[in-house]
Amino acid sequence: MTRSSKNRWKGLACFLLFLCLFLFTVVYTQCDPVLFWKRRSHLTDLLSGMFPMDFAYIPHILTPLFYTIQMSVTGTVIGSVLACILAPACAGSMDFPKWIRYVLRFLIQILRSFPALILALCATFLFGLGTFAGTFAITLYTFAIMTRLTYQDMEAASPLAYQALRTMGVSRFPAYIHGLFPEIASSFFTNALYMLETNVRHSSILGYVGAGGIGLLLNEKISWLEYEKVGAILLVLFLAVFTIENLSRYLAALIRKECTLKKKYIKLLLFFLTALFIVCTITLSPPDFGRTSLQTMKNMFSGFLSPDWGFFFSTKKDGLFTLILETLCIAFAGTVIGTVFSIPLSFVNTRRFVSGSVAFIFNLLIIAIRSIPFLIYGLIFIRVSGPGPFTGVLTLSMCSIGLLTKRFTEALDAIDLKAYRALLAMGAHPVPAICHGILPQLKPIFISIFLYRFDVNIREASVLGLVGAGGIGAPLIFSMNQYAWEKAGAILLGLILLVWLIDMISVKINHIL
Amino acid sequence: MIPIKLQIQHIHKAFKNHVTALEDISFSISQGEFVSVIGPSGAGKTTLFRLLNGTEDCTKGQILIDDHPMENIRRQQKRQFKKNMSTIYQDFCLVENSSCLENVLTAALPDMSFFPAVLGLYGTARTEKALQLLTRVGLAEKEQEPVKNLSGGQKQRTAIARALMRQPSLLLADEPIASLDPVTGRQILSLLKDIQQKDGVTVLMNSHNLELSMEFSHRLIGLNNGRIVFDGSPDEINDSVIRTIYGNSSVCSLNKNRKDVGL
Repeated sequence: MTRSSKNRWKGLACFLLFLCLFLFTVVYTQCDPVLFWKRRSHLTDLLSGMFPMDFAYIPHILTPLFYTIQMSVTGTVIGSVLACILAPACAGSMDFPKWIRYVLRFLIQILRSFPALILALCATFLFGLGTFAGTFAITLYTFAIMTRLTYQDMEAASPLAYQALRTMGVSRFPAYIHGLFPEIASSFFTNALYMLETNVRHSSILGYVGAGGIGLLLNEKISWLEYEKVGAILLVLFLAVFTIENLSRYLAALIRKECTLKKKYIKLLLFFLTALFIVCTITLSPPDFGRTSLQTMKNMFSGFLSPDWGFFFSTKKDGLFTLILETLCIAFAGTVIGTVFSIPLSFVNTRRFVSGSVAFIFNLLIIAIRSIPFLIYGLIFIRVSGPGPFTGVLTLSMCSIGLLTKRFTEALDAIDLKAYRALLAMGAHPVPAICHGILPQLKPIFISIFLYRFDVNIREASVLGLVGAGGIGAPLIFSMNQYAWEKAGAILLGLILLVWLIDMISVKINHIL
Repeated sequence: MIPIKLQIQHIHKAFKNHVTALEDISFSISQGEFVSVIGPSGAGKTTLFRLLNGTEDCTKGQILIDDHPMENIRRQQKRQFKKNMSTIYQDFCLVENSSCLENVLTAALPDMSFFPAVLGLYGTARTEKALQLLTRVGLAEKEQEPVKNLSGGQKQRTAIARALMRQPSLLLADEPIASLDPVTGRQILSLLKDIQQKDGVTVLMNSHNLELSMEFSHRLIGLNNGRIVFDGSPDEINDSVIRTIYGNSSVCSLNKNRKDVGL
């Protein structure tokens, strides 16, 4: 057998394995496209209820919107700064004491396993209801993700200049700031801007657990069936996300020096951004310790430290294993379906393949899909498919379409088009030209984006239970609200192990690629 | 600049896997010399340099700086000695995304206290000096250019300016021209020679390039298999010396040998 045909067989085997996994998850989550098609009219009910939007209601939304933005800006900035300071201690290529590295990495791995919503729920027990709890959760979440991304960047960067500075006798931290940080700075700031975008979406649902912001309002209006107002809120959210994404895209281009700005405007911009951060931080409501009791906290920590092992090892239908498997299946099926839709969408989303106006329209559509918090999708789809994991899959598919299309489009904008142009010049039709000139370049990038999204989706899937869309979320949040900390501890431990396992697998797969 | 005397006495270096890299190395260098360490790959040249700049410790023997053994020197003094010594490297070890000026200024960091160092508050005096040094190495107009946009020779010039920023008495040059083309390599060595002659800095270089080493140094030290096999002026180099340094496989004629050792 020749080498190329061997590789082809290998590729086919991987693809079949992947397909089997997908089919298993689809069956396990009771996905039923026929049912979905039959009940499609229910989908339009809620959507049509949102029109015409209640524009008079918009002024009432602005304050909660400000809280949402406040939580994300403050949390992102503080979390990123902390990450910038602590990440060098986590990087294997630097000579910080080893025990600090292990402790910090362990902490980050644990923090990273929890969705922001669960962190916020815990924070409300510590700091009372309100934006402070939300900000705290967003800070922790940003810190965990940013530290991880930053130390990975550091390990990939060349340590030579840092070592040269150390040889000269510069102490560790200044040597890091001047010797290594400049090499990773542009990627650090780009990641921080990504985090800001993600955090705006995350903080818009924190209201569900009483952690302040626009989510509180959204939750209220949906339960009172005031759909015109829900429409107005979503419109405002769309505009906010649109503004922030464009701003951050512009800033990212500035950082990467793809476009330039006069020096005085840069100063003005920096001044404006600093002012925004200061305003957001100063106006933060102070924590309300009035309802925190030492006893609750004690119970909480002792519960987390001594999880309910009976529940942990139970293989019954309501045991941890079944719930975790369901969460995993929802996340996998959702990510795959999302990927299938986003690949073609990403091609019509970039000006490289379609005309500017078409790209713009699809871009708006994708931003609209992305700006709707995922729990809203849950509430919409639950009318079609009823409570259960199928709703979860639909919800995560929608979210994944929004986010994956964005990432895929960015990857498409970055690749080399020479081979594709050469095929076109030879007279090939654009579609086969894409298949042979572009897809081979994109495969590894797309797979790593897919794995990243899958990792995120596991966390999202673990809070879907909040709206009845299956998975581990419902038992987790119920047990926390009922102060059943042992059970909550068992579920969180399961989540930590799951995220860790998936992380190991994706590192392996990324390695093979 | 404080003149320093470097003495190396009976140094041995063995690694954890019992590979002996250096055996019984002794020589001393006085202020203002231009010395090249030559030898085939794996002879122990780089290990010797790592011992000298304090990255690694030797297993036996001692390095004396002004008659003080290096490992006995307390931390504070060690810093003082490190201050008199600068290193330039084969792969430059510069911060690619920072400008030339910023790279030169990083050499001032060891003298600064923690917070000014972290924030990069160098002050006008240091900046002024860094600019002078960039002019000295011929990069005055590139001060704001990120290092990644420079050519190899320009990068090595920046690294030399960074090394000079510390006002060293001793400049260690670890394969300074190995990643440069022959013409640029010659320019860099001329610059080092100029620094040695005008500022009286001792230059200790190791190199693969026998021809250029002979042209620029006062003294050559030949290493083979972790031992010193030659120590003398470039005039004393002949075919048999080359054979002892580079091994018997090298062919007799000096010119042909030069080709063999990568010229």
